[in-house]
Amino acid sequence: MEITLIQGILLALVAFICGLDSCWEAFYWFRPIVVAFFAGIALGNVQIGLAAGAVSELAYLGLMTIGGTVPPDPLMAGMMTTVLAYTTGQDVKTTLGLALPFALVAQWFGIMCNTLFAGFLSPLDRAAEKADVKKFNGIIYLALAIKAGLYALLTFVSAYALQNGVRAFVDSFPTWFIHGFEIAGGLLPGVGLALLLVVMLKKQNVAYLFIGFIMATFLNVGNVLPIAIVAGAIAFISFQNDMKDKKFEEALEAAKLGGSQNDGI
Amino acid sequence: MTVSRNKLDRKDIDKMGLLSILEQSCFSFERMQAPGFVYGMIPGFKKIYGDNTEEIAKAMSNNMDFINTEPHMATFLQGLVLSLEEAGQERELIKNIKTGLFGPLAGLGDAIFWFTLLPISAAICCSLSSQGSVFGPILYIIIWGISCFSRIWFARFGYKLGVGAIEIISANAAAISKAAGILGVMVVGGLIPSYISFAFSESFVAAGGVSVQGVFDGILPNILPLGFVFLLYWAFRKKGVNTLLLIVLVIVFSIIASYLGIM
Repeated sequence: MEITLIQGILLALVAFICGLDSCWEAFYWFRPIVVAFFAGIALGNVQIGLAAGAVSELAYLGLMTIGGTVPPDPLMAGMMTTVLAYTTGQDVKTTLGLALPFALVAQWFGIMCNTLFAGFLSPLDRAAEKADVKKFNGIIYLALAIKAGLYALLTFVSAYALQNGVRAFVDSFPTWFIHGFEIAGGLLPGVGLALLLVVMLKKQNVAYLFIGFIMATFLNVGNVLPIAIVAGAIAFISFQNDMKDKKFEEALEAAKLGGSQNDGI
Repeated sequence: MTVSRNKLDRKDIDKMGLLSILEQSCFSFERMQAPGFVYGMIPGFKKIYGDNTEEIAKAMSNNMDFINTEPHMATFLQGLVLSLEEAGQERELIKNIKTGLFGPLAGLGDAIFWFTLLPISAAICCSLSSQGSVFGPILYIIIWGISCFSRIWFARFGYKLGVGAIEIISANAAAISKAAGILGVMVVGGLIPSYISFAFSESFVAAGGVSVQGVFDGILPNILPLGFVFLLYWAFRKKGVNTLLLIVLVIVFSIIASYLGIM
C-alpha cells in the first residue's frame, strides 16, 4: 500500500520521539516492539505493527549498546519492518531481513553523532568552568535535537520519499528469495539469544539453561512467564544461600581470630 | 574562608532523579555520559552553593570526566555525588569514588536491566503481540515506565547512603549478579523453543524416504533451535565473529536453504 504524506510525517514524528529515547535508553520506546506499535498506529494498521514488533524485538534482543559499541539500530529495524510489511504486503518475517540495510544506515548515523558530539565537549567544558548553565543545557538540547532529527529525516526519506523505488526493488525478487528472508526471520532471534548468552552464561548457571529449555519444550505454557517465575524462585533461593554462606564464613573468621588469641594466652 | 552550603531536601533529590532521565544526552565516544551526568546535578549544585558561582563551576567541572555506566546506576551515583558535595567532601575524593564505582555498578545494572528485565519483558510482551493483542506493547511501555521512574528511588538511595554506599555495593554485588544470571539464563533457555523456528521442510527426505525433520524430532523436540543457538554462541565466544557478519551469514544460509527447498 501507498504511504501518504500525512503518514510519512506521522512516522517521522514517531521516529523523532522514539529517537530522543534512543539517546536516553530511559523509557525503552526505542525498542522495536514500541516503535512498530506506534508506526502501526500512524499507518492505521495496528495489527501489522504488533506482528512486526514481536518479530523484530526478539531479533534485536541481544544487540546492546554496552560499553559504547553501536549495534544495528533497533529503532530503525522496528520502523522499517513495519513500513515494508505495509508497503510491499510481504510477511513481517520477510521484511525483518529487508529492514536490515536501514538499521545499518541508522547505525552509521549513530556512530557519526557519537563522534560529532565529542566536538561539543570543549564548549561544554568552558560553560562548566563559568557555571554558564544556560549555555551548558543549550548544547545538550542541541545534541538531542540533532540525533532525534536525523532519525526523523531518515524515516521520512526511507518510508515516504523512496517508497516506490523500494517496493519495485522488492517486487522484483523471485519467490525463493523472499521465502529465504522468511526463514531468516525465524532464525534471527537466535542471534539475539546467543549474544545474551555470551555475557550471561557461566559454569555456575549453565544447568538452568537446560531446565528452562526442557520446561518450554514439554510443558504446555502459553508464554515464558511461568518459567520466569520458577527461575525467579530459584534465583531467590540462590541469593539467600549466598548470604547465609557469607554470614557463616564471617562467623568462622571471627571464631578463628578469637581462637588464636586464646592460644596466645 | 569556609564555603557555606545549603541542605538539599527530598524534593531536590527527586528532581535530580527525574533529570537523570536525560543522562545519556550528548553521548560521545570521548567522555561518553559525562555531559548528561553533570546536567542532572546542576539544580542540586545551585541549591547547595546559592549565588556562589565559583563553587558551582568547580562542582560541574569536577564531574566532566569520562563516565559510562548503566543509566539507573548513574542516577544512584548522581545522588551519591550530591550528598558528598553537600557534606563538603574533597573534590578529589568525590572524583575517585565516582570513577571507582561506575564500572562495577555498570555490571550490576546491566545484569538487572539488560540481561534480566529486558529478556523477560520482551518474551511476555512479544507473545501477547504475536497473538495480535495491543496489550503486548502497552504492558511493555508500563514495565519500562516503572523502571524509568524508579530512578527517583535510585537517586534517594544514592543520596542516603553517601560514602557508606561503597561497602554495601561491594558486599552484595556478587550475590545479586549471580542470582540475576540464573534468572536470565533460565528464561533464555525457555525462549529458545518458542522464538526460533528452525525446521526442515517435510519434502526434505534422507535416503529411504525418512523425513529429516522427523529424525531430529525423534531424538529431542526443538533440538535444532537449541543446537543453532549453541552454534552461534560458539561463533561469538570462541571465534569472535562480528555480529553483523553473523546476521548476514544467517540470511545467506536461509536464502540458500530456501533455494534448495530444504527449509
